[in-house]
This record gives sequence, C-alpha cells and structure tokens, in this order.
Amino acid sequence: MNAVNGNTGNGARRTYKLMIVDDSNIMRRRIERSQNFEELEVVGTASNGVEALELFKKMDPDLVTMDLTMPQMDGIECIENLVKLKPAVRILVISALADKATAVEAMEKGANGFLNKPFTDRQLNEAIAELIR
Amino acid sequence: MNFSGADRKRQLVTVGVGTVLMLVMAGVLIAGFRLATQMNANVAALQTASALQTYPNTLVAQLTSLRDRLETRAYSGQALADLRATVEKFDREMKQLGEFSHSPQFEQAQALWQQYSPVLDPVIDFTDQPYVDSDEEGSTLSPEGRTHYADVKRAQLFTQENSEPLQALLAGLSTQLQTEASTGANRLRVLLSAGVLAALVLAAAAAWFQLTRGRSERLAREAQEQTRDILRTVKEGFFLLDADYKIGSVWSDALTRLFGRSDFAGLAFEELLKDLVPPATLATAMKYIKLLWGERAHENLMKSINPLGQLEIHVETASGAREARYLQFDFHRVMGPKGVKHVLVSVGDITSSVLLAKELQESQENANQQVDMMLGVMHIDPVQLMSFLDSTETGLQLVNAILKEPARTDAEFRKKLDGLFRELHSIKGEASALNLMSVAHRTHALEDMVTELKKRPELSGNDFLPLVLKLDDLLAHLRSVRELATRLSNLRESAPTEARGGRSSGKGGTDELSRTLQSLAERLAKDHNKKFRLSVSGLADIPRAYVPTLKDVLIQMLRNSAVHGIEPAEVRRANTKSDVGEVRIEFRKSADGFELMFEDDGAGLLPEQLKAAAVRKQIVTPEEAAAMDTRAAMALIFRPGFSTQEQVSMDAGRGVGMDVVAKSVYAIGGKIGVTTNPGKFTRFKVSLPASEETSTAVA
Repeated sequence: MNAVNGNTGNGARRTYKLMIVDDSNIMRRRIERSQNFEELEVVGTASNGVEALELFKKMDPDLVTMDLTMPQMDGIECIENLVKLKPAVRILVISALADKATAVEAMEKGANGFLNKPFTDRQLNEAIAELIR
Repeated sequence: MNFSGADRKRQLVTVGVGTVLMLVMAGVLIAGFRLATQMNANVAALQTASALQTYPNTLVAQLTSLRDRLETRAYSGQALADLRATVEKFDREMKQLGEFSHSPQFEQAQALWQQYSPVLDPVIDFTDQPYVDSDEEGSTLSPEGRTHYADVKRAQLFTQENSEPLQALLAGLSTQLQTEASTGANRLRVLLSAGVLAALVLAAAAAWFQLTRGRSERLAREAQEQTRDILRTVKEGFFLLDADYKIGSVWSDALTRLFGRSDFAGLAFEELLKDLVPPATLATAMKYIKLLWGERAHENLMKSINPLGQLEIHVETASGAREARYLQFDFHRVMGPKGVKHVLVSVGDITSSVLLAKELQESQENANQQVDMMLGVMHIDPVQLMSFLDSTETGLQLVNAILKEPARTDAEFRKKLDGLFRELHSIKGEASALNLMSVAHRTHALEDMVTELKKRPELSGNDFLPLVLKLDDLLAHLRSVRELATRLSNLRESAPTEARGGRSSGKGGTDELSRTLQSLAERLAKDHNKKFRLSVSGLADIPRAYVPTLKDVLIQMLRNSAVHGIEPAEVRRANTKSDVGEVRIEFRKSADGFELMFEDDGAGLLPEQLKAAAVRKQIVTPEEAAAMDTRAAMALIFRPGFSTQEQVSMDAGRGVGMDVVAKSVYAIGGKIGVTTNPGKFTRFKVSLPASEETSTAVA
C-alpha cells in the first residue's frame, strides 16, 4: 500500500498523479495495472475513506478513482472532503452500485465520471481519458 | 428563429435608404424653393431694368419739351413736374435694382446715373417764376428764369449726350438678368428632374422593400407553420428547460397527451413530476437536472446516470382503472455563447417496448418451463402419469360441473368456491407428488384466484369468468402434457427392451403409490430444507377401491409432516434427536377390516397452539377454546379452515388439508384419529371397513 512509483513519464508531457481508492485489494491492483496512460503516475492507493483523505493530503493527486461502498468513510463523504481540499481534483467513481440516485449524488458532491463494476480495461481507459481531457 | 438576424439587417437597410432618399428630396425641394424665389426676384429686376431702358430717352424728350416751352415762354410747370416724376421714378427704380443686382453693368449704370444728378438737380429744384410780364416787352425770362433756362439747356445737352451709353448699360443689365433668369430656369428644371428621379427611386425602393419584406414574412410564416406541424405531429414530448428549471413557452402536443395537462408554460419541472414519482426519485431527478447546467456534465456521462431513463408512472384510463406507463426522459444541453442556454427535454412513451421486453422475458421463462415440464414428465413413470392425467381430468370435469351449477345467493356462490377450492387443492397435491411442477404452479395460481374471490364481500356470476379462462389454460396445458407423455411412451416402446429393464412394475397401482410417496417425500425434503426418511410397508395390499382416497390422504399427511411435523435438522439436534427424521406408513389387515398408520417423529401437536390457531382463524371463540380438553383440541385439526401455517406455500397453509382428509375417510366409511406426544411424534390412525363396497368419491 501507499506504493509511490518513481516518475517514469517523459518530461515533455504533463504527469497526472493518480490515487486509487477501493476496499478490495484485487480491484486496486486491477485498476493500477489495466490503465495504460503514460502520463499517469499512481501515487498511492487507499482502502477506505479515512486512509484516502490522509494520503490525499500527503500526495496531492490530480486524479482519484473512488469506490463508493467502503468501511469507515464511504465514497460519497470522501469525495465531498477531497473536493473541499482541492476543488480542481478530478474523481472517477468506480462502483458496483447500479443505482442512479447514488451516481447522481456522487456527481453532485463533485465526482467527474462514473464507471460501473464490472468493467473492461477498455471502459476504464475510456473513462480515465474522459477525465484527463 | 433563423430570421431575426437577417430581418434586422434588412430593416436597417430600409431605414438607411429611406432616410437618404428623404434627405435628397428635402434638399431638392429647398433648393428649388430658393431658386424659384430668386427667379421671381430676377424677373422683377428684369422688368425694372427693361422699364429703366426707356427712361434716358424720356428724360431727353422731357428736357427738350421743357426747353421749347421756356423758349416760347409757354407754361413750363407741367413739363417740369413730368420731369421731376421721371427722375424720382428713375431714382427709385435704380435703388430697387440696387437691392438686387450688384453686377458691373449695374455699377456702371449707377455711376453714370449719379453723374446725371448734379446736372438735373438744379433743373428739378427750380420753383420760382421763370417769366416776368411787361407791357412793352411782353413775357420775358426773369433773371431766375434765365438761369433755369441755362440749366435746362445744359441738362438737355448732357442727357442727350449720355442717353445712349446709359441706355446701353441698362440694356446690358437686362440682358444679363435675362441670362440669369434662363440659367435659373434651367437649373430649376434640372432640380425638378432630380426631384422626380429621387421620388421614383424612393417609390421603387419602397416597393422593393415591401416585396422582400412580404417574401421574408412568408418564409418566416412558413417556417413557423412547419415548426408548429413538427411540434403537433411528433410522438415525443419536447420542451426546453431554462436555468430556473422551468418549461419554456413552446412544447410539442404529445406532452399534453403524456401528462394529461396543458399548463406547461413556465411550469417548474419539479411540479411536472411531483405527483408522478416518489419523493426520493424526484429529489434525485432535480439534482440531476442541476448537474446538467454544470461544466462537469459530459453528454455520455449524463446519459449513463439519467435517473429518468425508464420511469414507471400510473395513470388513470378512461374507464377509471389505473394503468402502468413507462416514460423515457432524455436531456440534451443546448449551448449558447455563455455556456448552457437551455436543456432540451424529450419524453417518450416506451410502455410498449418495456412491455414487449417483459413479454419476451415471460415467454423465455415459459420456454424454460416447457423444458422443465418435459424433463419432469420424462422422469415420471408413464403408468403413474397417465393415471394422474385421468384422475385430474375427472377432477376438472367436476370443477366444470361445479362452475355450471346455477347459483344465485351469496351462500350458493360461496359453496361453489369451496367446492372448487377442494378440487383444485387435490389436483395440486397430486401434481406436486408427481413432481409435475408446471401443473402444480398453474393449479396454485387458480387456487389463489379462488382465495381472492372468497375475500370479496359480494359475489356474482361474472366473478367466475376469469376462473374459467385460467381453467382453460390449465386444461390446455394438461393436454400438452398428455401429448408429451404419449410420445414419450411411444418412444420407450420402440426403444430396445433392455433400456426399460428395471422399470417393470410388479403390483400395479399400489407399488405406484409407494413410488409417488417416495418421490413426493424427496421433493418436500428439498423444498422445505428438511431431512427425513420415509419407510412404507403393506401399501401393496390396499384394496383397489381405497387407493384413490388413501393416496390423497397420505399425500396430505406427508405434506403436513414435511411442513409442520419434522423440525429443521438444527432444532432436532438441539432436542437430542437424530438429524434425519422418520416418517412411517403402514397398512395392514385388522380384525374388522384394515388399518392405516401414519407416524412422524417430529414436533408433535401442542394443544395450546392448536387452540390459539383455531381462535385466530375464528373457528372457535376464546371461551370455547378455554373449555376444550386435550382430546377436543386435537380434533380441531379436522375442522374446516384450520391451518397453523401462516404463510401460504405450495404444500401447506391453505387451511384445507386435514378436514378434507377426515371427510374423505368418512366418505369411504372409515374413521380417523390422532395421537401425539409434543416434541416426540404425531401418529394418525385410519380404520377402514373390510367391505369393498364403498364409494370412491373424490375429496
């Protein structure tokens, strides 16, 4: 956890710092591995909202992928806090909740994208591309 | 509208051209007016100048006349007065001309005329008597007269000398004035032509603008008409939402049909949905709408989280019934120069496609059921199946007969219902015993309908119609089962003999009963998550006449045991019983006939529980219940409408069961009794007479 990679992106392009928040470590690894953007650098992963908040303060990421149902602090609350800390942060909600009301609420609190679990690598990359754009 | 920009431009051009032309016209008119005034003055001046031309000669003539008179000593007063008048007139008119003309000719004429003054003035200023009269000499010139005569002579000579030059100067002046007048006239003509031209241009321009305006108005009107046609014809409801989430002033007619109202202009979106959706959905929808105005709302993303993509609403139909309808809302952002200008909302009625999808799913399930049925039928012993189909057919004939029975009073209708219910219940029991779930489910649904009817405060013949339809469906299904069974049995017969080696049935009907019970036991154990073993003995000895009744009785008892009697394994373990329950069925000869014993080692019957259930079902009053002893309490289970299972399932809880069992036992002349030990066992004993001359009434 909290694995900080060295900056491998090439210098000319802007590097985005990505934080992955999900209570399942399989899912965290899945997201970390399947994204294929050179300009993305995973600066940390967290398994719940409280952890995510602390890590966020430390690493100051630009992008966050966020699970919604997590122990301690759920995703919606976490999004609210992250946006307060850094309004420019872009958050992709990745959740198994197909409930439209939750999606709308996440968007209202400041999420920028929504991806339903289960997802394909392609869907993930498209959603992230949309976020960086 | 597309026209507003072009319209505005065209208007500006019209106003511009109009203004320019008006200014030109005004210029022409003012210049013409001034020119005409000038020409008027010119003409007056010309007249004056022409008149003046004659004056030099007149002066000469008058002076000559005056000299003649002085020489002839005639009266000179009149001639002098004439001269004075001419000089004054000359003076006055020269002054008048001076106000108008400053040309060199005039200056010269004036200068010359001024030279006249010193010569003429002494003449016209003369007022004395020119003559003195004496007798000797007659009239002679007085000294003053002589001076006067000299003045006149000098003046006559001067004027005679200068008359021509002055006349020439004045003639030149009038020629010049004439030229000026004709130039002015030419100019006026040109000016008038220009005015006419400008007026023509103005008229032409006005006509052209009128024409183009008419054309663009027609285009605008046509466009408006087309827009209206589109809005009237399109099947979706269309409208625009403004930043206050209010509906704009234009919407498609379909919206009225979809929502049954027409007061959309300025209506808040929230108001539109308020009565149609639950509050939670409404709140989500409003949050969603708000998000559409934000910059994070990408079209695709917003489409994927649209909470109104398939909205179920209930509307009242013309007949007053409530009907479910499905609406699909789509939201498209209309961008303006300053971000989102409007949100275009389209509402479609997708009821038919939703229902189609449901139908598709149902038919899919139906197909699956068909396969299940086929597999089910394949597993049933053909003889057993045929016997079931035969008895069911008889049962349904009975049902039909019950339905056809005339009934008028409420009590008669209720009796009908009770009869139907018993028949159906019995069919369902047999069907589930055979594991023929497709039949069991259909019968169960019919039973549900009957139960619903029973709850109605009033009954009429029409209430039975839906039952008849459902019954037809069941009959059709049974026919297809029979067809399938026949085909399967043909298939089996044509198959090689070894394939059906183990399936020979030794003792016909009774062995069949054992198998039915065993398979029912297996299914019941699985369905109710119970573990028990069924052991049977002596069933092969049941006299044929008793088989149909005892089959029903045993099926009902077995179901009761599985549902009520045998406890779940963990409960059994807690009560130090073995996990697997025991159900025993024994049939044997007795001294005065036969005896059927059915026993399970389950929970047994608790008199107090039975009493409580009977009170709850209003079978007995609390007082009656309190007065009952154990034996009477036990007997409650044979009372109609008694059931301790609150939830209705396929196998129990209908409140029909042991009363039917008891009745059918009595019907064949038997007796039934129950003994129990709470927590240990329940045992039913059925005693039957030896005689086989018993009715085979179906319960």
